[in-house]
Amino acid sequence: MKFSKVVGAGLVIAASAFLLVACGSGSSSSSSSSSDSQTFRRMESDTLQTMDPSTNTDAISGQALIDTMDGFYRYNGKKLQPAIATSIAKPTNDGKTYTIKLRKNAKWSNGDPVTAQDFVYGWQRTVNPKTAAQYAYLFDSVENAKDIIAGKKAPDTLGIKATDKNTIQITLTEAVPYFNGLMTNPAFFPQNQKFVEKAGKNYGTQAKYALGNGPFVLKGWTGTNNSWSETKNKNYWNAKAVKLDKVAVQVIKDPSTALNLFQSNKIDDVALSGESAQQMKNDPAFTPRKQSTTFYTQLNQKTIPAFKNTKIRQAISMAVNRKELINKVLGNGSLIANNVTPQGIMSNPSTGQDFAKAAATKDSEYTAYNPKKAKQLFQEGLQEVGIKELDVTLLGDDTDGGKKMNEYLQSTWQQNLPGMKVTLSNVPFKTRLTRSTNGQFDMVTSAWGADYPDAISFLDLFTTGNSYNNGSWSNSDYDAKIAASKTTDVLDPQKRWNDLQDAQQIITQEQGVVPLYQRVEAHLVNKKVKNLQYSPANNYNFVTAYIK
Amino acid sequence: MTKYILKRIAWIFITLWIVATITFFLMKLLPGTPYTNQAKLSADQIRIMNDQYGLNKPLITQYWVYIVGLLHGDLGTSFQFNNQPVTYLISNRIGPSMQIGAQAMIIGTFLGILLGAIAAVKQRTWVDSVATFFAIVGRSIPNFVFAVILQFFLAFKLKIFPIALWDGFSSSILPSIALAMAPLADTARFMRTEMVDVLSSDYIELARSKGLSSWQTVAKHALRNSLIPVVTIIGPMAVALMTGSMVIENIFSIPGIGEQFVKSILTNDYPTIMGLTILYSAALLVIYLVVDILYGIIDPRIRLSTTGGKE
Repeated sequence: MKFSKVVGAGLVIAASAFLLVACGSGSSSSSSSSSDSQTFRRMESDTLQTMDPSTNTDAISGQALIDTMDGFYRYNGKKLQPAIATSIAKPTNDGKTYTIKLRKNAKWSNGDPVTAQDFVYGWQRTVNPKTAAQYAYLFDSVENAKDIIAGKKAPDTLGIKATDKNTIQITLTEAVPYFNGLMTNPAFFPQNQKFVEKAGKNYGTQAKYALGNGPFVLKGWTGTNNSWSETKNKNYWNAKAVKLDKVAVQVIKDPSTALNLFQSNKIDDVALSGESAQQMKNDPAFTPRKQSTTFYTQLNQKTIPAFKNTKIRQAISMAVNRKELINKVLGNGSLIANNVTPQGIMSNPSTGQDFAKAAATKDSEYTAYNPKKAKQLFQEGLQEVGIKELDVTLLGDDTDGGKKMNEYLQSTWQQNLPGMKVTLSNVPFKTRLTRSTNGQFDMVTSAWGADYPDAISFLDLFTTGNSYNNGSWSNSDYDAKIAASKTTDVLDPQKRWNDLQDAQQIITQEQGVVPLYQRVEAHLVNKKVKNLQYSPANNYNFVTAYIK
Repeated sequence: MTKYILKRIAWIFITLWIVATITFFLMKLLPGTPYTNQAKLSADQIRIMNDQYGLNKPLITQYWVYIVGLLHGDLGTSFQFNNQPVTYLISNRIGPSMQIGAQAMIIGTFLGILLGAIAAVKQRTWVDSVATFFAIVGRSIPNFVFAVILQFFLAFKLKIFPIALWDGFSSSILPSIALAMAPLADTARFMRTEMVDVLSSDYIELARSKGLSSWQTVAKHALRNSLIPVVTIIGPMAVALMTGSMVIENIFSIPGIGEQFVKSILTNDYPTIMGLTILYSAALLVIYLVVDILYGIIDPRIRLSTTGGKE
């Protein structure tokens, strides 16, 4: 019948496909080979989710928002600098009132002026329950925010007012010493009401439905694609400081692909993981980027009463060789965590010393690998509790990295602590979270990333009764120190620092949670890229960067 | 024939409804919430969010709302891609997946048929052994290994093709070849087995005794009759290839749909899970129908009828 035609047509298609394959190879010119132009080519490990500052939660969208928008302040490296605000605000009224003056020359990229009302609108929109913003809780200390989020009060009762066109007054319910730093989160950015309302439910879903007031303008993002770019915004108030013409971003999920692209000079900055990171550790382009995220093990005192024994908890910590875990198992250049608070998020108000490093000078013995001491403490602990064996299940993620880490922990505990038997339970991330929250675990490896650069972002978690204190560790001295840092000592930076240091040492000595490591993202950065700044909130600042 | 097709189409819709229903209730058994920031949300905040998205309503109400939306062509909005309609997400990302899948399909099946046919004609010679070896290699080595090898040698070392990124036709070649290995091997295996059978049948003997050359016999008589089992596997293979491969798309940084399905399940992105499940099922059901119709064209002995009987 028509069989011969079917076959014939198929052969023609196949032949033409191969012909195209053959021809195609010639035309594979590199699309963006830029060596002298001011284009910075970088990667992200996943797609952009949203350009709506209210509903943003992920780091990738957060970076794009910081590139295209300006809040009151902007981090340049570790230093907080005024952006739309004219100076860093000093709170009055016992730290509860912030009066912020805005620059008069700040504009949206469409030319509209940035006014105080834009901040008021943005904040009210974020806490409005109709927006369903996952980061709404960051506003908890702003007057009436909790009631608004819970739907009990109207959004316009929020403690933020435009006293004139260029002045904002913020009222808090309590003093929050890190509030200026907290306001660098995009949730606190201004929003152009006219634009937002016109875009409606499309707001922030594509480049054309996003409006910024920052150094760059987002281009070429369709809402679901794998590449976009940020071009210099001529209407930016500080445009003359911006040297880059363009930041080109490409989603690359596979680390070996990222490495190949970097080595072929197709991209200027890549993040590596696993073997690729290990392989490039000694390369001159290797740049470790500390993340404000700590991985730790929580011990559930409700399901395993033996975990109430301090010696047993200390033994579990000292039995882990963190250096080996990082170098042989993770291989990404992560840092040993001596404390649950990571390095690089807080420094001493008078000496500038790092919080985690300061704490480690006094308490690092509790996380140092000491199998002999661990064994001894474990035996003593078991005797005190009156048991001979400890049989527990370790809950963790079923990712490659999660499994490897838990297998390592299992073997190290079983080997170094005779009488301890560990069974593994590796489950999907969301299952792990649900079980942790419901207390359905014996031991769980989990992580916490800072919402704002301050030690309290971590130390708050382990106070008695806190919903993130999944292991139910409790210490009244610790609770008292945390409380003092928020009340009596809140306005005295040095006293507050001391309280938090004391609290940190209590939880480390007691091993209320067992810190494992601080995440470091291994980057390769082209040497031509100069003055690239990385903030304690784990974002780049491209304002000062340039290509040489 | 028309009556048969109409009846099959009606069944497609019924099957889709059953698939949608089962998936909906199974999916709701997944622990956790669709919120990316779940780790930091308190129980109260999760309740407030659930109210906003209607996830606190009884399951049967949620199901009803979904089915009514579905009948109006509304698949809801994604959680992973904040507020992005699922139909927009799928239509934007399915293109590259389908292109690579289709190219892999063409490369795989035609080379596979060729390889299988040659192996059968030259059976029990070194040619057959080599072809079988390639088929085994193609089937047993996972496609991401091919992808990495192709990327390293042809793109990174020899610079013939782009390493990755989605930038014109040339960037689709390596992923297509990597993806084509398994279908190539499968097609070759099926083709060889069937062809060996056909070549030993009486009518081939007759054709040969009439004086037709060996190649003419194969091309005119044996090839066509050996294609039936190949057509059977091509259908589901096409759906599997064209709906995207998470691994290949990741290695070559292709903005496809393959990964979204896995990710939507891991992140409890309910509307995306539903949308993609329905899409895959619909594609599979339609392909089965097409394959059944194709049987009739290739082999007139197979007649489609409402009773489904063969003559």
